Amino acid sequence: MTATATPETPATPAPAPRHTGRFARLLDAAAPRSTVLMIVGGVLTLVGGYLPWATFVLNEGPYPEKATLNFFVDPFGVTGFRLHLVILGLAAIVVAALRRIPARHRIVRGLGIGATVVALINGLWITVEGGGLGAITASEGSIAFGSIAALLGGLVTVLGASAGGLERKPVWTWKLPWWAEWILLVVLFVIVLLLVAAVLTSGGQGGVVNPYAGVVFLSLLAALGGAFAALNASGLLTWVSVVSERHRTFSVIVLLIVALLLPLTSAGTEYWMTVASNIGVYAATAIGLNIVVGLAGLLDLGYVAFLGIGAFVAANLSGAAASHIGIHLPFVLVMIISSVVAGMFGAIVGSPTLRVRGDYLAIVTLAFGEIFVRSAQNNIGGLTGGANAIPNIPAMGVGDFKFSDSIVIGSLRLPSGVLYYFLIVLLVAAVMLVFAHLKYSRLGRAWIAIREDEDAASAMGIRTGPIKILAFLIGAMLAGLAGAFFAHKTAVVAYDSFRFLESVTLLAAVILGGMGTIPGAVLGASILFVLPEKLREFSDYRLLLFGLALVLIMRFRPQGIVPDRHRKAELTDPDVEDVAKEGPGPLPTRVEP
Amino acid sequence: MSENPETTDGATTTSAAEVVVEAEAPPEEVTAELAEDMHIATGTREPILVSSGVTMQFGGLRALNDVNLSLHEGEIIGLIGPNGAGKTTFFNCLTGLYTPTSGQVVLRGKPMPQDPARVTEAGVARTFQNIRLFPSMTATENVLVGRHVRMKQGPISSLLHGPRFRRSEAEAAERAEKLLAFVGLTRFSEELARNLPYGDQRRLEIARALATDPSVLLLDEPTAGMNAQETEATRQLIFAIRDLGVSVVVIEHDTKFIFTLCDRVLVLVQGELLVEGSPDEVRGDPRVVEAYLGAPPEEVSAQLQTGGAVDGAGTAEGKSE
Repeated sequence: MTATATPETPATPAPAPRHTGRFARLLDAAAPRSTVLMIVGGVLTLVGGYLPWATFVLNEGPYPEKATLNFFVDPFGVTGFRLHLVILGLAAIVVAALRRIPARHRIVRGLGIGATVVALINGLWITVEGGGLGAITASEGSIAFGSIAALLGGLVTVLGASAGGLERKPVWTWKLPWWAEWILLVVLFVIVLLLVAAVLTSGGQGGVVNPYAGVVFLSLLAALGGAFAALNASGLLTWVSVVSERHRTFSVIVLLIVALLLPLTSAGTEYWMTVASNIGVYAATAIGLNIVVGLAGLLDLGYVAFLGIGAFVAANLSGAAASHIGIHLPFVLVMIISSVVAGMFGAIVGSPTLRVRGDYLAIVTLAFGEIFVRSAQNNIGGLTGGANAIPNIPAMGVGDFKFSDSIVIGSLRLPSGVLYYFLIVLLVAAVMLVFAHLKYSRLGRAWIAIREDEDAASAMGIRTGPIKILAFLIGAMLAGLAGAFFAHKTAVVAYDSFRFLESVTLLAAVILGGMGTIPGAVLGASILFVLPEKLREFSDYRLLLFGLALVLIMRFRPQGIVPDRHRKAELTDPDVEDVAKEGPGPLPTRVEP
Repeated sequence: MSENPETTDGATTTSAAEVVVEAEAPPEEVTAELAEDMHIATGTREPILVSSGVTMQFGGLRALNDVNLSLHEGEIIGLIGPNGAGKTTFFNCLTGLYTPTSGQVVLRGKPMPQDPARVTEAGVARTFQNIRLFPSMTATENVLVGRHVRMKQGPISSLLHGPRFRRSEAEAAERAEKLLAFVGLTRFSEELARNLPYGDQRRLEIARALATDPSVLLLDEPTAGMNAQETEATRQLIFAIRDLGVSVVVIEHDTKFIFTLCDRVLVLVQGELLVEGSPDEVRGDPRVVEAYLGAPPEEVSAQLQTGGAVDGAGTAEGKSE
């Protein structure tokens, strides 16, 4: 091991910093005791994790039978979010106590935020499900103490960490032998796979049977978020991304294999395969939209129409009884035709929009989306089935073998739908490849140039018209491809899968994840299409929650979860993130003459 | 200042030499390599860019009236005039952003296309008065966008990233590297354009324009907001650009800069070409002084004679309009 640890920012004991802002006085007062506060906060979080409230509603059964102090019976028996609280609390104590860890306060702050959010989610849940606000009062006994203790613990941790002064993110320049780095990457990717499976299945299937799905899922997400923030603060994530960048091809291959292994984890049931396939459809569509919006900067509010066109074309060409065309082509051909037809529509929509920019373009695309939905609703040309939809689209298959069958290899039994999952993983990978290749080419640069300054782009010899149409065309083709898959997978294509709301959700996925990046679009699509699945009981508030999440993201991370370009800068300048957090948008460095 | 042996007959007068400012010119070997790559000079004696009778009417406002200009290969022409004289409008007419109401622009014997992208393709590149880089792209990427028009990748080859694609990318990257070295921005090659210092943003804009292999480069106020040293560096840079075989038209308010840089100077006042001639002729012309300053008080006129900076905006109160 040729490890050379050289954090650029050594762990100097932070001098009592002068704080500014709304909480300056509080932070200044807390500064001398920051370490103590962090440890106290960690202990409180631990206590919160061990108080029996935690058992009562979510994991063990209904209140009050199981709301016992089984802490004494089974001292280490913590599961679910109690486990998360215990881990976050312990980690906070350990990191706070070890003064030599660089960026100690920043790490602890991440842990504290995680604990706060976990406690908040569960506390809120108790007040909602466990008898309203009254549940927090003393008369209800010990039930809510845990959430209050953990919430307090989290807040105190954050206070202590912030008061101690946030350090710069350290930069690690370890270089291991290539085989060690390969092993490390494989291990990390497998861990990511297990985490993804855990997140996907956490809380089980939502719905009437299982009202806890949502909160267990959110709680796990919050805990992982806290851990992620802490790891990011320690600079280790940046280092890992540098390592994986060093072995780029290897990382991509391993990631693909790992994605194909998902059916072997706890998520390997038919239900989760369906959920994962649906996420894949939207991820592929979001990447296509990312070309139009993220790269070329053309705001498209009717994009889901192309997914719909692809789906309806596929439905009509695959021998469904309701289709009037009545031919049954092989699915590979169907996918290609769907993609091409959608692409043609993309170009058709693109052409008249060349003369409009910004808001006007958004309105034109919005109108196109509406035209599509209305036409489909009215069964235009008998092609869309109208309100009856096109049901019973045959599954993809080769000969007698259907993609919807389950597979048995020896003692290994893969759930049905697994082949669709494999197919969509490969499809998403192909779409990613298309996106990445285009982005780093003459065409991609032209798109970005148009996004940045259309007049300057045309002064550089870029024929903006055809290049913009090409963005619409390629984006629509990718959506059409995803649509064809969607038609086969769900077996029913109905107009109401392609409403304006879906367009907005796709757009939100792109913006939320980070415009112009692949991981951003995939992450955004996953979040926005898993959430409704998990939060069935909140389905009435779905839009409200979306709106809230978007507002929060735009306030605290205007460049999206996975920002474009900043990443490169981030690797060299650890403070770039803070600059971005200071306020929305870049600081103007340009001086107008 | 030795790089410009032909800087015209005595234009480099004593006043310019008095203020000696240290500034680095682009390294000669880079210039030589670039000149070979760009292959611009053809040795023709015919004017390569001719505008005849260009008139631009905006509603009731005549922004340009019968402007004639002929640019020869390897020439640097200065375009001066008070604010609002129509200098930038004239640039916009040359580059296809505006279609002149009457008159025509001819590039190498062919009428200039009326579309900015095609103009650039035909070999006329420009920079903007208020810098218009692509702020979220790196310096290298900005220059690569300039290569767009000379690269031959189609969508399919962009998709496949085959050997031909890689070759053309490598060539473009190499050219971008040379151009950044040429304007002295190698150290900023991976920096986002919006993070560059102001003066370097202007240089990057010039590099980006040069990436299109132009035979004519139009610079709109390339030294606005620069200090003496940066201005001198820009002057050296423009001489080096001329040495690449590129003909240059410069709009500037800094008359000292123009008189020591250009082979020929055109004075545009209220949309009309007032005077055209060598820097010495223009400098001595009483009409120019009057156009800038209204009634000519003796001392200011003398200052202008010796090549002091006269800014149209700065002397607004002296103007008659």
